[in-house]
Parts: sequence; structure tokens; C-alpha cells
Amino acid sequence: MKSRSGTLYSLPLTVWISLFFLVPMAIVLLYSFLARETGGGVRWVFDLGAYAEIFKQTADGRFIYLDIVWYTLLMAVGATLLTILIALPCAYYIARAKNNTLLLFLVIIPFWVNFMIRIYAWVAILGQSGILNESLLALGILKDPIQFLFNDTAVLVVLVYTNLPFAILPLFTTIEKFDFGLLEAARDLGASHTRSLWSVLLPNIRGGIITAVLFTFIPIFGTFAVPDVMGNSNVFMLGQLITSKLKFTGDYPMASSLSVLILILSGVGLVVYTLYNNNQAKQRHVVIEEDTL
Amino acid sequence: MKGSEVRVENADKKFGDFHALKNVSLTIGKGEFFSLLGPSGCGKTTLLRIIAGFEGLSSGAVYLDGKDVLPLPPNERHVNTVFQNYALFPHLSVFENIAFPLRLKKMDKAAIQEKVTQYLQLVHLVGQENKKPNQLSGGQKQRVAIARALINEPSVLLLDEPLSALDAKLRHQLLLDLDLIHDQIGITFIYVTHDQSEALSVSDRIAVMSEGRVLQIGTPFEIYEAPADSFVAKFIGETNILDGRITAHEGNLYTIDTDGVGPIQVTSDREFAVGARVRHAIRPEKIDITKEKPAGLPDDFTILHGKVAESIYSGFQSQFYVETVGSLQFKVYQQHESYIERGPAIRWTDEVYINWDADDGYIVELI
Amino acid sequence: MTKPTLSRTIFWTTIAFLFLPLVVLMVFSFNEGRTMVWKGFSLKWYESLFGNQPRLWAAVVNTLIVAFTASTVATLIGTLGAIAINWYRFKAKSYVQALSFLPLILPEIIIGVSLLVFFRMLGMELNLFTIILAHISFTIPFVLLMVMARLGEFDYSIIEAARDLGANENQTLLKVILPISVPGILAGFITAFTLSLEDFVVTFFVTGSGSDTLPIYIYNQIKRKLPPEINAFSVVLIGATVFLLFFARRSIKYFVKT
Repeated sequence: MKSRSGTLYSLPLTVWISLFFLVPMAIVLLYSFLARETGGGVRWVFDLGAYAEIFKQTADGRFIYLDIVWYTLLMAVGATLLTILIALPCAYYIARAKNNTLLLFLVIIPFWVNFMIRIYAWVAILGQSGILNESLLALGILKDPIQFLFNDTAVLVVLVYTNLPFAILPLFTTIEKFDFGLLEAARDLGASHTRSLWSVLLPNIRGGIITAVLFTFIPIFGTFAVPDVMGNSNVFMLGQLITSKLKFTGDYPMASSLSVLILILSGVGLVVYTLYNNNQAKQRHVVIEEDTL
Repeated sequence: MKGSEVRVENADKKFGDFHALKNVSLTIGKGEFFSLLGPSGCGKTTLLRIIAGFEGLSSGAVYLDGKDVLPLPPNERHVNTVFQNYALFPHLSVFENIAFPLRLKKMDKAAIQEKVTQYLQLVHLVGQENKKPNQLSGGQKQRVAIARALINEPSVLLLDEPLSALDAKLRHQLLLDLDLIHDQIGITFIYVTHDQSEALSVSDRIAVMSEGRVLQIGTPFEIYEAPADSFVAKFIGETNILDGRITAHEGNLYTIDTDGVGPIQVTSDREFAVGARVRHAIRPEKIDITKEKPAGLPDDFTILHGKVAESIYSGFQSQFYVETVGSLQFKVYQQHESYIERGPAIRWTDEVYINWDADDGYIVELI
Repeated sequence: MTKPTLSRTIFWTTIAFLFLPLVVLMVFSFNEGRTMVWKGFSLKWYESLFGNQPRLWAAVVNTLIVAFTASTVATLIGTLGAIAINWYRFKAKSYVQALSFLPLILPEIIIGVSLLVFFRMLGMELNLFTIILAHISFTIPFVLLMVMARLGEFDYSIIEAARDLGANENQTLLKVILPISVPGILAGFITAFTLSLEDFVVTFFVTGSGSDTLPIYIYNQIKRKLPPEINAFSVVLIGATVFLLFFARRSIKYFVKT
């Protein structure tokens, strides 16, 4: 059926995403290969300096930028791990419960509150004059307030806090599809509760776990707001580095090259995810084919 | 306006590498109830969709009363479709679904009310007009689809396996209803199905299709009793196939030597040479089965001896699988026209004789 | 079936963890004193909030303007696009599909950086307009998701039926496609609206002075000092959000029923 409606309806979308996704990202890619203009901006000269700069070393052998990238990686891995470790039992519990819509709601409600306000709340809790300190002082456990803020732990806590629902939801969706009768079968065959969870449940929710990991790790890797507020300058992650380069130093090429780094990472994640999904689909297809023979 | 004549000429259709229609030609007469019959993938639905306007042709033409319809989009052809899964508009009531084509034409309220009521009566859905599709049963949904397709007064109604989503009893009822509607309205019906009993029961003519080609076009009787090739013979009804060589020929009576089983006799209107290898078909209901060797039968009857390998009793009928010399299995149907005392006379492992009239057999094709 | 006790403990602890900050805010919004030491019940911060914080409310107004405008445009573009992807063939289809969902997997900072660089390159001034453009861009994928999810519940034969019965493209769109898409369109609009209200990172990159949205304003306040009015404001916001979402849920239910 020939129809030009398809082109017509898709036109605004095509134009918009080309103009506001494709072009800007192409520019970023382009800028990463240009030279820096003093005072901000770029000089239209091909220059790999922005990438070389990433590997820059100080006199005493420290890789200033690679250190940041490495640190960000560690923090992201740590935060993701913690998030998934908490999210798994939560999702499992919700999936097994009778009123799972209500429980899901409970998980999601705090997220209706504005992102910034939630971060602010943690400042109010962990700050020098925050409630944690005030309570500990009042209880006599502390003599002077401790600075709970502006360190790795504070950032980790809030990273986990803000990413939990993004991990719980996909995990819940996958676990819900799982046939819990399999666990009973495993128990029947002699496995302990823990063993049945480990050997039967986990392998079957691999897809959900991978989704949860991807949708947690990649945003955390590029996070800016949380380390900036909760960590100030004591915690310095890739997102803050890029922001600093872009907004304060005006070093467009380097901000771009670092962004490309994140882009590559996201791309790798996407490829892994797609390959996994295609693999799963292929396996199912083989089974179906065998059946019909 | 009653039905239109539909003429398909050399229709060829490819979907990428898949050759869906291979040079199909047929003519459907005005007001005919015409069926496209065949297994999945034979091209019958593709052909229907091409007539409806949802697909184009790679080459060939389609004429409606002599006019080329291919350049016309579906909403400009005087043809309407009843879809397999009904395709009712979920956000509209039964009334609004049926009224939809009329609202498009901006007919006035009173006229719409009158016409919709008329068609609601036709499909026996009066009283259901305010229900939404998700509140209807499968059969009711199909009736809405039929009313909606007919209210436009098309000259051809296309039905794409309209009964396949329904259960057996309902299918039967709805099929009869369709037949009645066809008689009442008189337009051309083109009916697509893979169910040969459906096609046989209501069609004026049938086109049997397989793998993109039309194998035979004929009345149900012709298709059943005179299949054009082995595929049609096997696809329609049940049959027993015997391959053999013609050893003798007298008038229209042929003697065929089937390897292992021995000579059988069959009449045919066509000419076959002695020595030719042919495929012979004999339908199970035309074979008679007896415990004793039948005596006094005319010479052109074929009589074979065998053993009942399997017997299936279905109340009004018994089906027997009789194994003869050469390990050939014949399927035989025996109608129980009168009450059988103490169960059926012929049972499993019995030694039996089967026989049939030469006129009842059929030479399908040369092989 | 064994009761999952360990996971139950973890779950409820997590819920407590999730709600803790909000409860703290709410409690201390009623605090007489300025600090996190309880000095007595008072509504003074609420009074100050509504009387004395013009810049806060200006930011609220900005945020709402951006959210309404961006969600409306994103819904328009996204709905039409979703219909096209789901049910029509067109030349750029695979390109559009691949690119449209990209922002879902990218960290927000990439979107922020690329748009800032883009606007700068065009010499555009950074203000509410650039914020709106940015918000439209990152909410479109969500509208697409919502509408496509809804459309996926229906079979394409409905469109063929409409055409078969005489509808042209326009009539098919208005009388069949759009009516059945309504729940998806609504869900898309609300999702876009919520995301726009929330957004910090992308906005942070494309904002100029004087065009603060709420998250930006709060961020600046956190960086400088912490006025207690923020507590009261947080509670008001939480209340408003709950009310709005409750209202939205009922309207969606109403639409889905029809």
C-alpha cells in the first residue's frame, strides 16, 4: 500500500532528531579533533591534542586525567554493584508479594519528588549541621560534628539512592516473568533455599540483570550533579571534569574528547545489550523450529 | 448494483525473493460465491489483498467489470473486506463500527440510523448496538465485521478466512448464515479458506491453489470427483491413491496393473495410451466392504482381498484401514444406515473383501 | 512456599531509606529554629515561603512554562513519529528508529554538552528558549515509547479496515488512529512533563543567567547556603506532586475506560 503518510508523520521527528541529536553529537565529535582557542572555542585546525591530553602526566608521574577516569570507573562500579545488590532482593520480594503494584508504588513515590530536592535532603541529613550530626551530638555520642559530606561515601550513598528505582523496575519485570514453581522443583530435588535461588533463579533472570546494570552503570558513569553537590571538590568525577572544562576553562576540544569517551562506553554497553538480546532470540527460534519438525 | 465480475490476468507477485503468486489468471462471475482454497502460504490471501488494494502486483492486472482497479487505493474501490481477526474499531460501539463508512460519507443522522438498523437485522445483532467490541463474543464480532463491510453496498465482498478464529459449532452456523446473506444480497463473494469442507459446502465455484499457482477451478462437485492433479485429489476430502500402468483399454474402460495389488478397472472420459503410467484415485466412501467375497457383481467391478488393520467407529460411520496384498492400505468408509445389533459387523483383524465400481474410480493424471 | 524473610527485611529497610530524606524535610519544615535542631512547631517558614521568595517562585514559573511547552511539542512530534514507525513504511525508518532511542541510553551529560556546543556554535543566546529546545529533545524518546507501547496493542488490520471502508489518510488518522492512541499520548505527555520538571543536568548546561528553573535555583542555593524555606517548599512541592499525579492517574483511568 503506497502511502506518503509515513513520510509526512515521521518528518517532524526526523528533522528534530537530526538537528538536535545527530548534528550536535557530530559537532562534539568534530571538536574533539580540533585545536583549542585561547579564551574559549575552537580553532579549525586538525589536532589530536584533546585526546593526547587525556594521557597527560605531571612531573611526578601522575596521570591527572586518567586518574579521574579510573576513579570514576571505580565509583561507578561500586555504586552499580551496591545498587544491584540492594535492588535484587527488593525486586524479588515485590515479585513474590501479592500486592506488587502497591509495593512498586512505594518504591516509585519518593521519585516523584524533584531530583534536586532529594539531593538537598541528603545534605540536610549528612551536613555538618545536618540531622545526623545533631542527633549524635544530642545523644552524646559525638562531641564535635563530623563532616559526613564531601567524601566518597556520601556520594556513593546518594548515587545508590537516586538509582535504585532504575534497577528495581527492570529487575522486577524480569523476575515477575519467572516461574517460581521451578524453585519448588529445585527444593524438591534437594537444593537448599539459597542454592535454588543461586542456581535456578539467577541464571534465568540474567537478561533483567544485564538491563539493570546497563541502565544504572552508564548514567552513573556520566553523573555530574550528585558528586558535585555531595562531594564538592573532594570527589571529582568525569562528569565534573567535563563540566569544568566546558563551562569554566572553555576547553571545548577536551570536553568533547572526554564526552566521546563516555559515548564509546555507552556504545559498547548498547552493543553488549543488543547482542545478548539477539542471542536469546536466536536460541528461542532454534527451539521453535525444532518443535515444528 | 449487484455483484461485479472480477477478472485476474497473469497476476504475478514477489515479496523480495518469495514468489507469492505465479502467473495467476481467473475470472469470477457476477454474484458468484467463489472460494480460494489452499494450504497456508499458497497465495490465496495475497491474491485477496491485491483485489482489496492492500498490496500491488509485480506484474499482471485486475479488472472489475472490465475496469482496471490496480491504480485505485483501497478506499476508492467498490470492494470491501471482512478480516480474519475482525479488525473492529475498539473505541467505537457496534453501532458506530457499522455506521463508520456512512459517517465518512457524511450521511445524515436519520438515514444512518435506518441503514444501520437494517444491517443489524441482517446479521441478527439487534439489541447489541451499544456494546463495545471487547464485550462481544467471537461470533458476534464477526457479524459486526460483516455488517460493516456490507453497509457500503460494495459489488464484491472479500472474506479472509473469516471463520478460522471461531470454534467448530459456531463456524458451521456462521457459514450457513453467510450463505443466506449471499443469497439475499446477491453480490459477488470471494472467500478465502484452508478448510476444504467449508469451501465445498457453500461455494458456487472453487479455485484450488498451491504455492502461488491455481491448480484447478471448478464447481465443488468437479473438484471433488474430478481432481486435476494429485495435490487436489489429496487436498480435497480423503482418497486412496494407486499408481500403475495401463495394460488394456476397451472403450472408456481401462485396466491398470498396480504393482503388487493386481489389476484394477476404471472408466475415464480422457484418452490414455496402453503402457502409460497413471495415478488412480478412489474415494473411501465409494468402496464397499464385506466379510464374504461378493458374488454377482458386474465385470467392471474391482474386488480385492485384505485384512482390517485399523477400525475407527464414529457412530454414524466406521472408518477402516484395510491392508491388502503388497502392504497397500485402503481407507474405507462404511455408513451405518441401519441399526447394527451387538456392534459393528466388521472388526479389527477381520479378513475382508473390498470392491468398487469402475465408474467410481478416477484417473487423476499421467505420472 | 518459603517466606522470603531476608528479602522482606531488605525491602522494607530500603523503603525506609528511600523515604527517610523526605520525612526529615517534612518534619523540619515545621521547625521553629533555623537549623536541624528541633525548637518547636512553627509555620513561619511556610509564611516566608509564600511571602518572601520571589526568585524561588520566578523559578517555579519558568519551570512550568518550560515543562508545558516542551511536553506539548514533544508529544506532538513524538505521537506522529510513533504512528509512522509503528504502522507505516518510509524511507528513513531504520535511521529514525535507531537515533530516536539513543538518548535513553546516553548519560544526560552528553546530551547537555552536545546541545551547549551546538547552541554556542550557532551563536544562540542561552535562555528559556534554549532550555525548551533541549527539553523537547530529551523527552521525545519517552513519548515515542509510551505511544508505541499503546499502538502495539492493536493490529494493523484496523487501519486496513478503515481504508477499506472508504477512509482517506486524514480520516484514518483522525477517526481511528488518534482516538485509540489517547492513553498512550496522555502517558507520553505526563512522562515528558515530569521529566522536564525534574531535569537538572541538561538544563544546567543550556541555561543562561536569569532563566533559572527550579532545580537550578535549588542547586545554586545549596551551593551558597541553605535557607530553611527550602524545607517548607519541598513539602509544598511533594504535596503538589502527589496531588497532580493522583489527579493524572484518575484522568488516565477515565480515558482508558472509553
